[in-house]
Amino acid sequence: MTDTIPEAPEESTRELPPVVAEQIDDEVEDAAPFRPSVRGWVARGLVWALLAWVVFALPGNFLSPFQLGVSDVGHASKAAIFAIIGLSLNVLIGYTGTISLGHQAFVGVGAFVSAYVVVDMGLEFWVAVPIAAAVGGIQAALLGAVSLRLTGLYFALVTLAYGLFAEETLFGITAFTGGEGGKNVPRPLGFEDDFAFYYLCLAFLAAVLWVDWRLMRSKGGRALQALRENPRVASSYGINVKAYTLMAFVVSGIFASIGGALLAQQSTFIVPETFNFQLALIFILMTVVGGLRNRVGVVIGSVVFALLEEGTLVHLLHLDGILDSTIGLPAEFFGLVIGPILLLLTITLYPGGIGQQVAPIAQWLRGKKLDLHAGKVTEVEVNDVRA
Amino acid sequence: MTTELGIAVVNGIFVGSVYSLVALGIVLIYRASGVFNFAQAEFGTTGLFVAYVGVELWNWPYWLGLLFGLAGAVAMGLATERLVINPLRNASRVTLLVGTAGVALAAIGIQFWQSNEQPIRQMPKLVDGVAFQPFGAAITYQHLITFAVLIVVALALAVFFRSPSGLAIQAAQQEGTAAELVGISVRRVSMMTWGIAALLGGLAGVLSGPNLSFTAGHLTFGAGAALLPGFMAAVLGGMRSMPGALFGGLLVGVIEQFGNLSIFGYMSGGGEMMLFFFLLIVLLLRPQGLFVRKAVAA
Repeated sequence: MTDTIPEAPEESTRELPPVVAEQIDDEVEDAAPFRPSVRGWVARGLVWALLAWVVFALPGNFLSPFQLGVSDVGHASKAAIFAIIGLSLNVLIGYTGTISLGHQAFVGVGAFVSAYVVVDMGLEFWVAVPIAAAVGGIQAALLGAVSLRLTGLYFALVTLAYGLFAEETLFGITAFTGGEGGKNVPRPLGFEDDFAFYYLCLAFLAAVLWVDWRLMRSKGGRALQALRENPRVASSYGINVKAYTLMAFVVSGIFASIGGALLAQQSTFIVPETFNFQLALIFILMTVVGGLRNRVGVVIGSVVFALLEEGTLVHLLHLDGILDSTIGLPAEFFGLVIGPILLLLTITLYPGGIGQQVAPIAQWLRGKKLDLHAGKVTEVEVNDVRA
Repeated sequence: MTTELGIAVVNGIFVGSVYSLVALGIVLIYRASGVFNFAQAEFGTTGLFVAYVGVELWNWPYWLGLLFGLAGAVAMGLATERLVINPLRNASRVTLLVGTAGVALAAIGIQFWQSNEQPIRQMPKLVDGVAFQPFGAAITYQHLITFAVLIVVALALAVFFRSPSGLAIQAAQQEGTAAELVGISVRRVSMMTWGIAALLGGLAGVLSGPNLSFTAGHLTFGAGAALLPGFMAAVLGGMRSMPGALFGGLLVGVIEQFGNLSIFGYMSGGGEMMLFFFLLIVLLLRPQGLFVRKAVAA
């Protein structure tokens, strides 16, 4: 007994590990950073060029042995639009840890507002997109202002109810959406061609990526990261948790509306039934499989799911015959059956998603060493929502 | 007006009994795994499809088909617990939620695929015909049977939770480590909970299925969507109260029917509008639920 009592104070006065040591370590690494050799640079340059070719040249049939048809490039446009929507969900789930199950409503609001402005008000597409973005932001602000008092799963439930409400009630207003019959939406002037439209989508994706990147470098972005880790600690440092969550919600709504406006133009015909709950689930799937808080991963995940949806990926890889003959799975159901299974594998085996899987290559492309263990961060796990 | 209200209430109660069945399963799983189970309604659709295969395609007797459907639902519930919930037991709630949504979507995908040749199907009713018509609302025998099953299930659950197995479930839900110390296998209890919840979901599926023709995802977002109303019912009961979930389901059914009243001018989606605003009001004014006195620490 007498032995144990003196020991206790010693424990409590134990010195914290010196913070300086870590900084020294960093400096040592900085002193002799890894520089790829000339061959290394050439290899990286080639891969970059290949990537650029796939993104920019292949869909436009430049410098390409393949002659892609109009429908193929349509799928590519859809993939770019899905990437915008994935980034919009990433702002919400990834940065704030709040889950939205009604994102199809946000996308739908963007689509129908843009269609209304173009068709019924006779204005240009370039006016319609800002209006759609503004309306998307306002509806997100309204919904968020009322319901962000709730957190976590309860908030998710409200967004789920809102999604169904928007799908059935708002999009059911015939004067606004054309009701069951849907609405024809013409493409903007100069982009009627599917190939030109693809580059328009790509430009919007680039803009969204840039805004997302700058936002995360701002004070607001750092506040979001802090409040996701622990809202109580963040608020004790003077971060207004609710205001910043609302900001993220509005930004997410704006991105989603832009995606919706493009989606309306891409398909040139929209019906309310497109924006159903299944779509919301697919949006969540592609974001989580892509890898939360990882822009590259989210974009790749969204593109994969957009291509999976109608079996395009299967057609491109010439796998439909094999799948049909072995397990009798027609290509158009490939995404519906395989997508969720991919999701379950991702969250059980690789919580960081595709972003984690491609991290070594991404690091290498940035001029670092090829490190197979890159991206294995434990903090990729979404922190517990506060339900 | 009174007749219209009467019809709404009567219809609401019978529609709501399906919601109650779904909500009971949701509450059970929330208490056991702390997750909003998005696959709960899909247990029902899967059970419905399996029962349909037994009754219509293989010409089994009806009761055998029903049992087959329920067995299918329970098998799906157990598989979900083993393959998704158990590996993710230390993950966050969002991850778990996404996992159950993935299970639901996988089931829907497989249903779409398997019912490709005939997307819209019709399950025969247990007993055909209209039982009686209060205020002119046609109450079929199927509705009455559903309601009776709900009452029987509620009583059975009440009795079950007093039995040793039921007490073990309650103990494991409240404090897993302590339950293990007194010799309760938390693993087996978790399986049992998911099995019972899936059985409830399956009952909701096979009983509500014959009312309408059904497609893939029937109870999740199809014609007989019961997922959102089920969640709302569970929330009304504070997510933890079984009687709360039961009465919540009936109440949600009635509220939803009010959206079809003529004062809304027969607008489309009136039911969804009522549900959305009702949920907002309830969550903002009484986030702990309508049928509980005090909030339970989650």
